[in-house]
Amino acid sequence: MNTKTLPHAPVSTADVVAGSYSPVVQAAGLSPGAARASRLFDLLVVIAVVLLFTGAIHLHVMLLAGDWDMFTDWKDRQFWPLVMPVVMIMFPAALQAVFWNYFRLPIGATVGAVCLMLAVSITRPVQFMLWTDYPLNMVLPAQMIAGALVMDMMLMIFRNALFTAIFGGFAFAFLFYPSNYIIMAPYYVPAAHQGMMASMADMIGYVYPRSATPEYIRIIERGTLRTFGDSASWVSALFSGFICIFMHYGWWKLGMVMSNATFLPNNKKVMAMMGIRADQKSNG
Amino acid sequence: MLTLVNFLRAPLRAVVLLSLMLVPVVEALAHGERAQEPYLRTRTAQFYDVQFDRAKVAVNEEFIITGRFRLMQDWPDAVSLPETVYMSAYAPGPVVTRVESYLNGIPARQSFADLQLGRDYEFKLVMKGRVPGSHHIHPMLSVKGSGPLVGPGVWIEVTGSKQDYRQEVKTMTGEVVDDLDSYGVSRALGWYAVWIVLAALWLAFWLVRPLLIPRWIALNKGREDLLVSGRDLAVGIGLGIVVIGITFGGYAYAKKEYPYVVPLQAGTNKIDPLPALPTHIAIKVMNATYDVPGRAMRIQAKITNNGTEPLQILEFTTANLRFINKQAPGAAAAILKGAPTETVARGGLTLSDTKPIAPGETREIMLEASDVLWELERLVSFLTDVDSKFGGLLFFTTPNGQRQISEIGGPILPTFVQL
Repeated sequence: MNTKTLPHAPVSTADVVAGSYSPVVQAAGLSPGAARASRLFDLLVVIAVVLLFTGAIHLHVMLLAGDWDMFTDWKDRQFWPLVMPVVMIMFPAALQAVFWNYFRLPIGATVGAVCLMLAVSITRPVQFMLWTDYPLNMVLPAQMIAGALVMDMMLMIFRNALFTAIFGGFAFAFLFYPSNYIIMAPYYVPAAHQGMMASMADMIGYVYPRSATPEYIRIIERGTLRTFGDSASWVSALFSGFICIFMHYGWWKLGMVMSNATFLPNNKKVMAMMGIRADQKSNG
Repeated sequence: MLTLVNFLRAPLRAVVLLSLMLVPVVEALAHGERAQEPYLRTRTAQFYDVQFDRAKVAVNEEFIITGRFRLMQDWPDAVSLPETVYMSAYAPGPVVTRVESYLNGIPARQSFADLQLGRDYEFKLVMKGRVPGSHHIHPMLSVKGSGPLVGPGVWIEVTGSKQDYRQEVKTMTGEVVDDLDSYGVSRALGWYAVWIVLAALWLAFWLVRPLLIPRWIALNKGREDLLVSGRDLAVGIGLGIVVIGITFGGYAYAKKEYPYVVPLQAGTNKIDPLPALPTHIAIKVMNATYDVPGRAMRIQAKITNNGTEPLQILEFTTANLRFINKQAPGAAAAILKGAPTETVARGGLTLSDTKPIAPGETREIMLEASDVLWELERLVSFLTDVDSKFGGLLFFTTPNGQRQISEIGGPILPTFVQL
């Protein structure tokens, strides 16, 4: 098909929305009607993806990172920049694989980041402010949008899973700390309380009691990262970047496996498992 | 063969499940203190002398919880030793806020290490009303590896409006924060908005174009050149540069805006127990039974008074239940002003011999602690513990009202039916 052919019929708004005369549609060989139908299909898929991955990514991050993302006074300098990107990169990497391999869309990581942002934008105010009266500044979430955008850029530049893992995965993790520090900086300002120093995040955690969260479970700094003075967070960010290279590659592969459609042979054993008697005729 | 019933089964189930969401529910007022295993409550920390200085406060008004606890010598094997603990209050969320807290007079914002079994500790919690309502508040000792050990609670009524609540904090850089509730929130929301807008622009850049089916077909036809153009690449790289610029520019700006920051503060402090109270009592439990149908604990014990003054049994307490010997001198004063009374047994403590134990005397006495509270506080389930034992504190008093405290405990036999 000649993709440079211009249409002679008047162009309707529906056709413009459907992109009926875009080079991609032309190359695909879709008629204007099929293009419009495909646009409706796009809308349905977008809604499904947003609903599914908003829930899935939120569940995943809450299960694996939990308090590190939940509470402001858990966002420590050593483990927060290390743990969060490692947990957060999983779904975005898998989504990148699916969107890129089947559609050449470099938006998978951003979709994942936005879905998580959407989820926490609902859950934090509802669960903590409305239901349990905690102030919002106690449960401010981390965001991974900055890292996700750069990871998508890397995919578009390299068009390759391995190099995206090396450069994109690393950038995803390395940008996590500075892009979130912008938000969290006020909560590291020191205050004096009962003759002891506390960050403002500590103060918030102290003033608003969480009965089942005693202070000692926040004692997590271990090892000698303090050798690096106040640069422990950057060391963590670098190490997180290193781990995320492998995480990205692994989850990219998982995304490929999970997006593969396979079919079971329709033999008697499978039919019996599905509750279909051998003498029944399939409706299909 | 599909019948109508089969066809409608799934939707009907969905309707039934969804309709359950419309069933009116009652607000949960308690917070599970009765759900804890009895061995946790009877053989770990015994709270006593707990007082709340008021039962009704306005929003922003402070109230104080004071009291003591004894860490039992016969600490259960199943519970981690109190090597790291945290003293706090147990409340249904931040309906009251914490202003100050102390353990043995030392600030208790952080945790404490290496508490000693068999010794007493004194706490003070300064709390402040925040959310109007009637709230059940307890003192609470959290033990690392074991969880919270809850002291006796009272209902605190908070009046006023939550909107009036203010917690002022002055930072070490001189900034006065008028209201901790909203500190830094608008700034954070602004930055979230920046990132969301950038992501939305990138997604919109792709979503406005034909998305899935045309791209998939075109890709399969080998027309990848049409799917990511040079313009797309330029826009992407431009956005990437903007993102990296905002990230590091914003970081540098935040560093300049807040030049003095500290890591999160967390750690433990060492603490000495209260001076050991003088006690001249030796207790040997001969046998102990729990009468299931009668809701009564009976303890046969040999008590030796090694002191110089006669001693009268004043009170038996375990798991915050208090059984007071009403015939003992000072019994009326045993319940302090502002003390939780929900767990004080009405029937008190019954003794087989109420006469004071003379100095040097050893006497075998049957103590009976009988009340429906055993059932209400769900302490009967100690019969299902892996080591069926009981524990508690026995309070004695001299004729001039001086109090002595001794631990009592040992194996316990349940009596399921009267034989």
